Amino acid sequence: MALYNFKKIMVVPTAKDFIDITLSKTQRKTPTVVHKHYQIHRIRHFYMRKVKFTQQNYHDRLSQILTDFPKLDDIHPFYADLMNVLYDKDHYKLALGQINIAKNLIDNVAKDYVRLMKYGDSLYRCKQLKRAALGRMCTILKRQKSSLEYLEQVRQHLSRLPSIDPNTRTLLLCGYPNVGKSSFINKVTRADVDVQPYAFTTKSLFVGHMDYRYLRWQVVDTPGILDHPLENRNTIEMQAITALAHLRAAILYVMDVSEQCGHNLQQQLELFNSIRPLFANKPLIIVANKCDVKKITELTEENQKIFADLTAEGIPVIETSTLTEEGVMQVKTEACDRLLAHRVDNKMKGKKVHDVLNRLHLAMPAKRDEKERPPFIPEGALTRKKAMEVDAPKRKTERDLEMEMGDDYILDLQKYWDLMNEEEKSDIVPEVWEGHNIADYIDPEIMKKLELLEQEEELKEKAGEYDSDEESEDEEMQEIRVLAKQIREKKQVMVAISREKDVHGPRMPRTTTRVERAKLEKEMGSLGLDMNNKDDSHYAQNARRSRSVTKKRKREASVVPTSKTRSQSASRPPRDQSGVRDPAMAKKAKRMMKHSQKDMNRQGKKGEADRHVYDLKPKHLFSGKRTQGTNDRR
Amino acid sequence: MRIEKCYFCSGPVYPGHGVMFVRNDCKSFRFCRSKCHKNFKKKRNPRKTRWTKAFRKANGKELTVDNALEFEKRRNIPVKYNRAVWDKTVEAMKRVEEIKRKRQARFIMNRLKKCKQLEKEEAINEVKKNIQLIRAPHAGKAKQLEDKMVQKLQEDVDMVDENL
Repeated sequence: MALYNFKKIMVVPTAKDFIDITLSKTQRKTPTVVHKHYQIHRIRHFYMRKVKFTQQNYHDRLSQILTDFPKLDDIHPFYADLMNVLYDKDHYKLALGQINIAKNLIDNVAKDYVRLMKYGDSLYRCKQLKRAALGRMCTILKRQKSSLEYLEQVRQHLSRLPSIDPNTRTLLLCGYPNVGKSSFINKVTRADVDVQPYAFTTKSLFVGHMDYRYLRWQVVDTPGILDHPLENRNTIEMQAITALAHLRAAILYVMDVSEQCGHNLQQQLELFNSIRPLFANKPLIIVANKCDVKKITELTEENQKIFADLTAEGIPVIETSTLTEEGVMQVKTEACDRLLAHRVDNKMKGKKVHDVLNRLHLAMPAKRDEKERPPFIPEGALTRKKAMEVDAPKRKTERDLEMEMGDDYILDLQKYWDLMNEEEKSDIVPEVWEGHNIADYIDPEIMKKLELLEQEEELKEKAGEYDSDEESEDEEMQEIRVLAKQIREKKQVMVAISREKDVHGPRMPRTTTRVERAKLEKEMGSLGLDMNNKDDSHYAQNARRSRSVTKKRKREASVVPTSKTRSQSASRPPRDQSGVRDPAMAKKAKRMMKHSQKDMNRQGKKGEADRHVYDLKPKHLFSGKRTQGTNDRR
Repeated sequence: MRIEKCYFCSGPVYPGHGVMFVRNDCKSFRFCRSKCHKNFKKKRNPRKTRWTKAFRKANGKELTVDNALEFEKRRNIPVKYNRAVWDKTVEAMKRVEEIKRKRQARFIMNRLKKCKQLEKEEAINEVKKNIQLIRAPHAGKAKQLEDKMVQKLQEDVDMVDENL
């Protein structure tokens, strides 16, 4: 389709951009290093390559522009005419022609300079030639600045044209400005065209799509047309005229019965007559809009006669109101039916039809017996078909409800539930109880099962299964347990003592260690022996008999030096007394000193600078089972 | 909204917690916390990991076959809401839960009872072998002997007195 390519046209760069892009590309994509001492053919080749590369780039880009833009002769006459109206055919063709000329000039320049380069005998000469060539190419392009700008704007506008298919079923709306064409298209399709009270709100063609009888229809909205001869028409009106002229569509001529658009019926009739020639061979319907304000029957005699004349000529006149939506569907169906009939007629008249008709054969099965077998159409299909034609009001949707209730609206999907009892619909259904899902317990026979379970439970209780059995132990057993506990404790204590001993060096036999009397008596006492009055026992006597240890000679207290030696003079006060006014201040100073040391002391640090960590991996943080919890403290 | 079961430890996975892993064979696994998830990734068998419910049930540490446990079953066909049915079900649930707890507790208690016998025997053994640590063998013997001597002397004195 011609219209598809309009969106795929490559961006046309401005002249400056174009030059920048191409030159930087040349810089990047060709080799950049050349020296004076290279062989001359190598130097020449180097610069020729640059010139040819630049020429190639320009050529490619410009050719692409020329092929991308549509040729006015090749596309559908509707689009050709539309483009002429919008962009002026001559200007368009000129611009493209200029681009073509520029392309050829660039090619020639490149050819010339490459030929000249063959005679360059030094690096300097070749370089200058290359500079000249590139410079000339860029100048050529600089001169095309205005053409390139114009083409870029054309491209942007082209890509935004509405995609109207000239060959499919179309309804075309035309009439004076402000009669209600855009409102009509808004009602019939999903299009969202601006509707405002001033004239020429719609400034270009708009397309909407609708469905009827399982087919897709285009509805084209045009800007309003005023009544003056063709030469005086401006661009906006010309678009409407182009559409009228080229699209094979059903024409809906919209008239404003209430004359609110600012033109009376006589003028509207004159316009109708003046564009009548454009309606040849097209099904035509007159839409009398704004009938909610004024009906045809309320008009004056002569105005009513106008409509009567039109009807007499065979053009259906249908009263509508886009505000109250009456008659809109009627217009739609009438127009569509007429257009379909017209199109089928045209097809039948053509030659292609016979090929198809010759291949079609309708087979009617022979009747087997006299029994009537009519086709079965379910009721739902019939009602739906009727609804499509009449366009009955749809059932109230949630959205309608929402708009009605405004802020009070609450979405309550539970009201559509299909339950046995209606009142239970608004119940809050419990799903979970104490970690169990209620849905897992639902069973039609749950009560029976529960009864059985309860019976079992009773039986078990009777059988005494749940009695708490405290074994009554006899006294002997209890005593034994107490003793066993004591034994275990004693064992643990012995093990702990032995661990603490921490003996380094050779181990002396037990007999060399002295046993003190008090310790011996204490231990034996705890074992239950009576250790009082043991002064004359064997061990005590031995202890007395052993040789008394010579005591050390008590040293005499040293004499205090009396002569004033050169010791530290008392004139310099000690640190904690210098600068201190009174005992209160001294006390405070001492307190501060102690306070600042508190933290260090608590952490066992030697001083401020002691950063030593005694235990990098304390055992209590790294051992033990990890159930749920953190490892920062355990 | 359902409370699912963790694949590894069989604990409850509340909504908004845990991780679900879907394998290429379309089997999905839910985990209640990263501990279970990581164990699963290490390819550990829950039936061999001692702290999981799967292990406990497979090795007879917990009650497995019981009528009270038959009530909670995952049903694949949802039932339409009916107030009467729901009410009855909630009542039944509470009662079933009570009975279940009692039975489970009883099962574990029975299991632990065997230990008491062993403990008794151990205590007796201990006392027999190591009594010397807390009591000297002839602890009260001196006093006893003295008493006996005194008694004997007393008897002798009495006899002499009698004779006289």
